[in-house]
Amino acid sequence: MGEFSRLSEGKGNLNKKVGRFFKSLLEKKVVDAILVPARQPEKGVMPTLISEPVGCDAADPFAPVAPLSSAKLVSSLTSTPSGRPLAVVMRSCELRALIELVKLHQANLDGLILIGMDCLGRFENKDFLKLARNGATTTQFLESALANKEASEGEPALAPACGMCEFPVPQNADINLCVIGSGPEEVYLEWISEKGREVREKLGMKTEEEPAKRQKAVEEIVSRRVETRDAVLAEFDEKIDEVGKLEEHLAGCVNCYNCRVACPVCYCKECVFVTDTFRHPGDKYMNWADKHGFFKIPSDTLMFHMTRMLHMSALCVGCGQCSSACPNGIELAPLFRSMAMRTQARFEYEPGRDLEEPQPLSVFFEDEFAEVTGQAG
Amino acid sequence: MADQERVGTVLVVGAGIAGIKAALELAETGYKVILAESSPHIGGILAKLDHQFPTNHCGMCRMLPMVGREYASQHCMRKSLYHDNIEIMPFTEVKSIKGSAGEYQVELLKRARHVNPDICNGFGECVEACPVTAPDEFNHGLTDRKAIYQPVPHNVPQMLVVDVDACDKCGECLKVCPTDAIDLEARDEIELVEVDAIIMASGVSLYDPGTQDDAKPYTVSEDVVTSLAFERILSGSGTYDGEIHRPSDGRPAKRIAWIQCVGSRNRRHGRDYCSSICCMFALKEAVLAHEEGGPGMETTIFYMDMRTFGKDFYRYREMAEKEYGVKLVRCRAQEVLKDPDGTLTIRYYDNRAGEFKRDEFDMVVLSTGQAPFEDHKKISELLDTEVTDSSLLKNEDFSKVKLVKEGVYICGSLMGLTDISEAITSGIAASGEASKLLRRINAPRIMEKEVEEKDVDREQPRVAAILCRCKDEKIPEGLDLEPLGAKLKGLHGVDEVHILDSLCREEQREELEEILRKTKCNRLLFGACLPYVYKRKLKHIALDAGFNYSLVEVFNLLDIARNGLSDPDDKGWIGKIVEEIQVNKEKLRLARALHRNIVPINQSALVVGGGVAGMKAALSLAERGVFVHLIEKSRRLGGHAGTELQYTVDNLNTSGMVESLINEVQDSDGIEVHFNHEVARSDGALGCFVSTIRNVGGGETKEIEHGAVILATGGREGKTDEYSHGKSDRVLTQSEFEKKFSSGEIDAGGLENVVMIQCVGSRERGQREYCSRVCCAGALKNAFKIREKNPETRVFILNRDMMTYGYFEQYYTKARGEGIIFVNYELDSKPEVELGADKPVVRFTDHVLRLPMEIAADRVILATGIEPSESNASLARVFDVELNADGFFVEADSKWRPVESNRLGVFMAGLAHSPRTVNEAIMQAEAAAQKAYEYLSRGEIHTPRVVSVVHDSLCSRCRRCVEVCPYNARSFDEVKNQIMVDPEACQACGMCAVSCPNNAAEVLGWNEKQTMAVIDAKLRDESVGAVL
Repeated sequence: MGEFSRLSEGKGNLNKKVGRFFKSLLEKKVVDAILVPARQPEKGVMPTLISEPVGCDAADPFAPVAPLSSAKLVSSLTSTPSGRPLAVVMRSCELRALIELVKLHQANLDGLILIGMDCLGRFENKDFLKLARNGATTTQFLESALANKEASEGEPALAPACGMCEFPVPQNADINLCVIGSGPEEVYLEWISEKGREVREKLGMKTEEEPAKRQKAVEEIVSRRVETRDAVLAEFDEKIDEVGKLEEHLAGCVNCYNCRVACPVCYCKECVFVTDTFRHPGDKYMNWADKHGFFKIPSDTLMFHMTRMLHMSALCVGCGQCSSACPNGIELAPLFRSMAMRTQARFEYEPGRDLEEPQPLSVFFEDEFAEVTGQAG
Repeated sequence: MADQERVGTVLVVGAGIAGIKAALELAETGYKVILAESSPHIGGILAKLDHQFPTNHCGMCRMLPMVGREYASQHCMRKSLYHDNIEIMPFTEVKSIKGSAGEYQVELLKRARHVNPDICNGFGECVEACPVTAPDEFNHGLTDRKAIYQPVPHNVPQMLVVDVDACDKCGECLKVCPTDAIDLEARDEIELVEVDAIIMASGVSLYDPGTQDDAKPYTVSEDVVTSLAFERILSGSGTYDGEIHRPSDGRPAKRIAWIQCVGSRNRRHGRDYCSSICCMFALKEAVLAHEEGGPGMETTIFYMDMRTFGKDFYRYREMAEKEYGVKLVRCRAQEVLKDPDGTLTIRYYDNRAGEFKRDEFDMVVLSTGQAPFEDHKKISELLDTEVTDSSLLKNEDFSKVKLVKEGVYICGSLMGLTDISEAITSGIAASGEASKLLRRINAPRIMEKEVEEKDVDREQPRVAAILCRCKDEKIPEGLDLEPLGAKLKGLHGVDEVHILDSLCREEQREELEEILRKTKCNRLLFGACLPYVYKRKLKHIALDAGFNYSLVEVFNLLDIARNGLSDPDDKGWIGKIVEEIQVNKEKLRLARALHRNIVPINQSALVVGGGVAGMKAALSLAERGVFVHLIEKSRRLGGHAGTELQYTVDNLNTSGMVESLINEVQDSDGIEVHFNHEVARSDGALGCFVSTIRNVGGGETKEIEHGAVILATGGREGKTDEYSHGKSDRVLTQSEFEKKFSSGEIDAGGLENVVMIQCVGSRERGQREYCSRVCCAGALKNAFKIREKNPETRVFILNRDMMTYGYFEQYYTKARGEGIIFVNYELDSKPEVELGADKPVVRFTDHVLRLPMEIAADRVILATGIEPSESNASLARVFDVELNADGFFVEADSKWRPVESNRLGVFMAGLAHSPRTVNEAIMQAEAAAQKAYEYLSRGEIHTPRVVSVVHDSLCSRCRRCVEVCPYNARSFDEVKNQIMVDPEACQACGMCAVSCPNNAAEVLGWNEKQTMAVIDAKLRDESVGAVL
């Protein structure tokens, strides 16, 4: 059973409570800075690197928005480490992606305290800004999300990827910010790892029992989301079960590669699709046109998405940033989740589960996939 | 590599694995090799085996060269083999040998195949037409073949041969042969060759249960097969597609028994030796039977001693027993009885139960041993040399490969029964001895011809198609390629088309060279036949004309045209050839010229350890002009053998030999001994290592540059406190005893009873979990010494299995004859030693009488086995090589690369590798020295054109390529923050390219653009083509 501590200070002050906790981390010199989503002057919420305690007032980690995956930011912060202690507040999908990036030597956990948070989902960026302008607060969001209220007519819904995410509670965090089972009025900290427990000792916080309703509440959310996931993917799989249909699904792709940029586990320094490999001479296009009579340009769009499936579906954490990034509204998240479900099952791999678990294709086994290689062990 | 006037030439007789390895080594060292093989195919016994212990895979190809792989074939060795410097002569026997070292004249008898392999098109119509059948030797008579047949079904190209004994000359084959390739009147031919040295590797035959009497009580049914026949039953290319069925009625066999030592360990029939391989062979076959035969399989091995004496053998035995449930029964199987329903019953005496038992089986496998004698007699006559009392060829003392006749070496089972690993080691060692001779007599080496290559890197790609119409050869009237030529002229990207009558003919070579001289093209596409045969030849011609190797492609035109030939109306083949040309042309147009890099090789070596193996390796290299730094952590040379061993079981003087080695090392100008030093650090790669050595006491360090490393760290006798060792002077280890006894400190006269206990702290969980191989012969040696001085002494040897492999068996037989008493014990009933006031009392159970015994022993002598050197762990880190669970260095491949580590340029020999006898360690040292010399002798290494590279600007440093590289060719340089590739170690397997998502890791010679273009050219389904 984990160790929990309740963040005190009266009702209705969700961000104040967590802000005070972050402040204490800086004041007690547990870390030199915290990367945490914080409110911006124009009402947006963006990951913000805070090194002065006063900055923590703007922290709003539970705000239902993630304009980008912070995994890549943590990669930038740590791949060439500053050598200074740092805490980062991340959603489960971001944290899971980070674990994968660490395995790929793109990030580094040394001197890093991973603070996770119960995640009830996020809105698309535009929707969130609209809601924020209309005065919606994070507390209200959490209340209605925890009560499992459907979005009312005309109100924006959560990003589809969040509705089918099996990880409302993150894995591999050192400390977790908990609201499930207790509500936004009573935020708990769970001290999970050795690193996390050391922080608790430095802050001198007392431990308490796990909130009584928490486990059951988590289970309920997970089972609801799994149900949604299965329904959505079953319907989606039919939409793409032939190359022709897949091509249709991707017809609007303009090769902007935004999905790739947004993807937290697409880690190549320079994507193969911007190299010479896909820069064809004019006569090549003419040959294709001659061969088929007509030829849609940009070409290589199906190839691009299939290549991404090949490269990252084993590592896909299902964050849905690809869909959010597409200017033409192509539903990429279900496509990649659908593929990821299968590749990950096939390799018995789950991204973000365990830092020690080797990624598929990073290790060589003489005896695997005998049905493919034709070489039985 | 090109012809030259006179180069150092070695004849290797026998193309089994030992002979092939010896040939490859010498070829790699730059000498010419004639590889003669009496049977129509190469590969020997191993051509028949699909699976080898311990991996249960084949792996034969791992003996092919890694550095310099471009000069040799890079495909499955069971298909075929070639190397630029090796002339392979199958179906060839040695008739006579005259002359001496440096000038042997050898008469070779080339037996008639009756089928010209150059002309045969491999359609196999003659085989269909042949009315005569004979038992197929390859499947051990389990299947039939024709009188005209392919000796090895998986050889490529197919090499047919006529069995003249079976052939009745009916001429049916002649009638159907479209190319006139068959000549039933062909005669054997004699060829005289002059060579500098000879390596005999003619191997052994296996005991034939049909002709001799050992097997008589067993061979009662078709379902009693030999172990090699069972191997064919298991083989995917064998009799039942790899399923296990009984030969008699084809029913699945679920209960299988192995009977060991059939045709060996039998003095009465003059076979007083242990075949050495059968125990592991049987264990492996039993494991495979479980794997292939599925659930319900029951396997039992009836054995006398389970001889698991090699590295990791004992672990394999434990795995077979524990994980697969292979049952081992120690007994001599009396007989096999056949029941009316075909069931086989084995009757045997169960020692443990003390009664006769009968067990039923579906199939019985006889572990038929190696049978060496015929060959030895013939060879000794050919060479006019002596044979030993054991009918073996007479070697120099302590050498297993050097005959007493200068310039003649032996390897493989000719030495006296070897397993694969030892056969390979001996092949390398024999070639090492030959290369020493060749260097001594200044025999010139083959020099690579330098051809100036046309610089086409900045030219537009222009492709010339050169097509062969195969006139007069396989198709007498020739293919009608004119319509094809016309089509190609209009094809974008094909700039010239040339059609020749027959590319394979020497007469056409001039015409071809003329074309290559005149062409404006910089890329060549040949359409010919049999790419296995002609690809190299055509590429060489192109290379000589200044074309780049990677800009020449050869495709199998005839193969595609075949369908058209059998059906004259089908003109579809022209379309298919056009498509093939499209594909190849795209590939060629996008290909880049690949160049070789020259890496200079530092001409010195670092040998770690000054024991016998280290000194021998150092001397061997120094003799060939390689300067050696010999690092010894103590203040003296000699190692384990120098202090612990006085003599061998065959009565050779070990201490004298060590002493003379020490003198030789100290007198050598080519060896610098660094006493009291250890290696602290090592960087670099083959040819350019930089190592730091430091004084053992600390302080002073020195930096040494060297080209190769030999780890010969030795070992020492195991320590024990079992059986009251250390508490009484009457309880000693074997070497403690040996020292005191040979110095006279222990007087033989006072020894009434001596009890030797074997396997002390060995083959036991939590202790030394392996067999130390040397202790059984060591115990016999000391037993004989005692009885030599005092014939009255009673010697008891308490053992778990007597590991007297090979010809050590004779000493075991002799010992029993002399009345030395052998008592078997198992781990659960170990003997006990009690120290009394006077003599220690040893208690044990006699395994025959099954009665408790008690002996008051004057001395209890413990065989404690061999422990690895404690410095192995730090050296493994320094040189980035692996240690096995027991602390010995791990070879790159236990069978096929037995003295190489998994790091290129780092070799191992002696006890650093695993426990072994002095002469085995010496052989390994020679082999390790030869491997190092093979690289160092080149002066510089030309890296292969096709290697993997890093595109640094694309690289994300995720290091997946480093983790996945099976050859340790990739590393991450922390300082440079870059992935580094060692082009010599890289084998272009492509694992890195697969693991890299964005082509930052690329294997040259086949880029992504080519892949795309080839797919595009191949795609005919428009709906798919359009979307890509």
